Order: sequence, then C-alpha cells, then structure tokens
Amino acid sequence: MTTTRLTRYDRSMLRLMNDRRGAAWYATAARRRLAVAAHITLTAAIGGLMTHLFLAEGEPLWTIAVMAVLLVPWMVATGVINSATRGLLELRERALDERQSAERSRVLARAHRATTLLLATAVLGLLVAGMADGHAPKAYAGPLLIAVLVVHWLMPLWVAGLHAQDEPSEDDALGTGPLGR
Amino acid sequence: MSEQVHNRLAVVRAERKVSRQSLAEAVGAHYQTIGYIERGQYNPSLDLALKISKFFGLPVEALFSLEPFRPLTDEVYGRNQP
Repeated sequence: MTTTRLTRYDRSMLRLMNDRRGAAWYATAARRRLAVAAHITLTAAIGGLMTHLFLAEGEPLWTIAVMAVLLVPWMVATGVINSATRGLLELRERALDERQSAERSRVLARAHRATTLLLATAVLGLLVAGMADGHAPKAYAGPLLIAVLVVHWLMPLWVAGLHAQDEPSEDDALGTGPLGR
Repeated sequence: MSEQVHNRLAVVRAERKVSRQSLAEAVGAHYQTIGYIERGQYNPSLDLALKISKFFGLPVEALFSLEPFRPLTDEVYGRNQP
C-alpha cells in the first residue's frame, strides 16, 4: 500500500471499507456464509423478477415494486461482504498492500475457474435442451446469458466473502488496553 | 510452493508496546496483514520484512527465520535445548 499516491477518493473508500461499526455482522465464518447465501438468494430473486418483467407479459408494476424492496437488503448484504473483505474488490490496487493484492488475485482466479465451469454447464444444458426440444436454445439463451453475466460479475464478491477470515482478537487489547497504540 | 517463515513479531511488538495498527501504518501495510504474518498465515516479501525490521531497529534475522525460533528466555539465559 503506497499511501503517497492515494487520491482523496482512495482514502475515503479505504476509511469506508475499514469502518468496523458493522463488524458484528461478519465477525464469524458462519455469519459471513449467511451474508453470502442471502446475497446469492436475493440476486436470484431479483434476476428472476427481471426476467419475468422483460419476458413475460405480466403486470410490471408489482414486479418493479418487489424488485425495489429486494434491492435494499441486497445492497446491505453487498456492504456486509465488502466490509468483511475490507474492500478487497472495491478498493483500487494502489490502496491494497502486498498481501491483499495477492489475495485479490487468488479470489479472481478462483471466481474465474468457477464461472468457467458455470459457463460450460450452461452451454451443455442448452445443448441437451436443444436435443430434447429444438426451440429450447433460442427460448432460453437470452435469460441464461444474462444469468451467467450476473454470476460472472458477482462471483468474485461471493468467493471473497467466503474466504474472509476472522479478525485477530489480540490487537484489541493492544489498541485500547494498557499497551496503547 | 510456500515455505514457512517463522517470526517473533508478536513477541517483539508486545515488548515494544506497538499495536498492529501503528506498525501497519509505519510500514505501509494493512493491520490485518501484520496479524496474518504473526499467525504464520502469510510470509512477507523481503521489502516488507526489511521495513518491519527497520521499524524495530533490529536485523531482519532477529525477527524472521526459516528455522523455528528458540524461546527468548532460553536465548537470554543460555539454556540449552533438550
């Protein structure tokens, strides 16, 4: 982390991502897994509603209202995961130190492998569906492509959230106790 | 392919009454990284190891080693290893 090259935006993001006021939300591995699971569920729900909105001939008003309501907890879950990872994916490279940069590369590599597998599964699924029903690939290609794109976008966040580790407890004593800072 | 690098950073840091946060700020790292190094979960680069050593005014081999460190009391009082 080279503090001399940080812009005002970098510094404010660094402060935001290291703000520990919500630490209780991601203090344990179980809570972080819960946040990631909630984020995946909400993403699937919003994606499903979007598909319904654009592809089905339904009443759009309630769909938009439900999507707007779901977006709030989705943003909260995103914030929780980002805080748990200390902004591993949100901060610019120059705001990360060497360990964080290496961790980000590992997370992106794992996410890339996972989305590659997902893409292969999606293509295979479409081919199998095409063999059963000739119109299936044409009908499902659009929504499937959008779903894969969304997963490709969010997979690094989910992987990072699942790989985040517990905060070392000893430093609290050093920071606020008799040893001081 | 990563070899374990042993360190006595936690001991020295506690002895000098330095928090992870202030050490991290001094060497341009995140405070969690200091914790990872202390727990042996991350091996620092040569650059970071030298910066940490410089911060404490110690030779790098006093803080980092490829071999496990003997307890400081053994070194000070010269007790032989069993």
